[in-house]
Amino acid sequence: MAKELHTYKAGPIEQVVMPGENVGIWVNKTTQFYKVVYIEPITRSDPVTFDLGALAAGGVSIITQITLLQMPDLEFAQLRMEVMDDVSCILYQGRADQRHKLQNVVSTVNRFSPLFDRDGHQTEFFEFEDNYIFLQATNQTAYALTQARVVFWGYRYVLEYQKQYTEKGNMPDIWTRIPATAHL
Amino acid sequence: MSTQLTPRGIRKSSAVITIAAANVAQNLYLRSAAGTVGRTIILRKIFAYSNIGNVTITIGIGLAPLVGIIPPFYVLNTLDMQLTEDEIPEVEVNVNLTVQATILGCLVQVEIEEVGS
Repeated sequence: MAKELHTYKAGPIEQVVMPGENVGIWVNKTTQFYKVVYIEPITRSDPVTFDLGALAAGGVSIITQITLLQMPDLEFAQLRMEVMDDVSCILYQGRADQRHKLQNVVSTVNRFSPLFDRDGHQTEFFEFEDNYIFLQATNQTAYALTQARVVFWGYRYVLEYQKQYTEKGNMPDIWTRIPATAHL
Repeated sequence: MSTQLTPRGIRKSSAVITIAAANVAQNLYLRSAAGTVGRTIILRKIFAYSNIGNVTITIGIGLAPLVGIIPPFYVLNTLDMQLTEDEIPEVEVNVNLTVQATILGCLVQVEIEEVGS
C-alpha cells in the first residue's frame, strides 16, 4: 500500500507529494496545476530564523513581511514554524489575510504550541513563489522582550507548469491541493 | 540526583573561570553570537570551589555593574558547591553571563542551554 502523504500531516514533517506527481496550488483564489520535478529539505537553521524585534510589555509588532522565505519562480515551500520567545504570532498570507481563523478570532502560534504539537504540524503552511507570508507578534508577558524569534523548516519543491490543465475543465486525474494562500 | 529538563536548546559549558579580582565582574560564558539572529542563554548548572576562604559569588549579566540573574550564593572554603537545574530558576538572557566574587582565586564553571537555530 502506498504511503499516505498529505498536507498538515501529524508527526515529523514529510513531503506532501513525490517527484513526478501533480499539485494544484491554491493561490490568489485560483488553482494552478504543476508537476513536481524536485524536492529538497529546508533545515531548521539560523538563515531561516526571523527576529520580529524587541517588544514592550504587551506590545504588538507591525505586520512584517518575511522576505527571507521568498521562493524563486516555479517553486513553492512547505514550512512549519516554531516561536522561540514568549510571543504569540499571527500568520498572514497576503498582508491582510490571516491564516488559522475562525468567525470572530484568529488562533496563534506561541511558546505553548510545541507542548501540544511537538512536530508543529498544525503550524504547517505553503508559500508559492513570492506570495509572501507575514507575521505579527504580540508580547504576552508583563515585561519587555528584546527579541521575538521564529524559526522555520520544511521542504522546497521545484515545479513544471502544466498548462494543459485548468481549473475549469481538464484537470489531472490525481493531484494534491496545496493551500498556498488564505481562504477568505 | 538531577533531572534534565525537556531540551529547549543545546547544552554547552563555560571554561573553568578563576576569579581574577575581588568584587570585579568578569565574563563567565560568552553567548554564541555569530548568527544573524541572536541566541539566548538559560543557566542550568553551577559548579564553584574555593580553597582560599569562604566566598560569596554572584552570577549575572553586565560587567559594570553586574546585575544578578539569581541571588548570590555562598561557597565554604574547601567544600565544592553545585547547583543543578532542579534548583535554579529558568532565567533566560540574550547577553553574556558574568560572574563576581568577594575574593579572588576561587573557581566557577556553568553549564548553560543555548536557545536558537
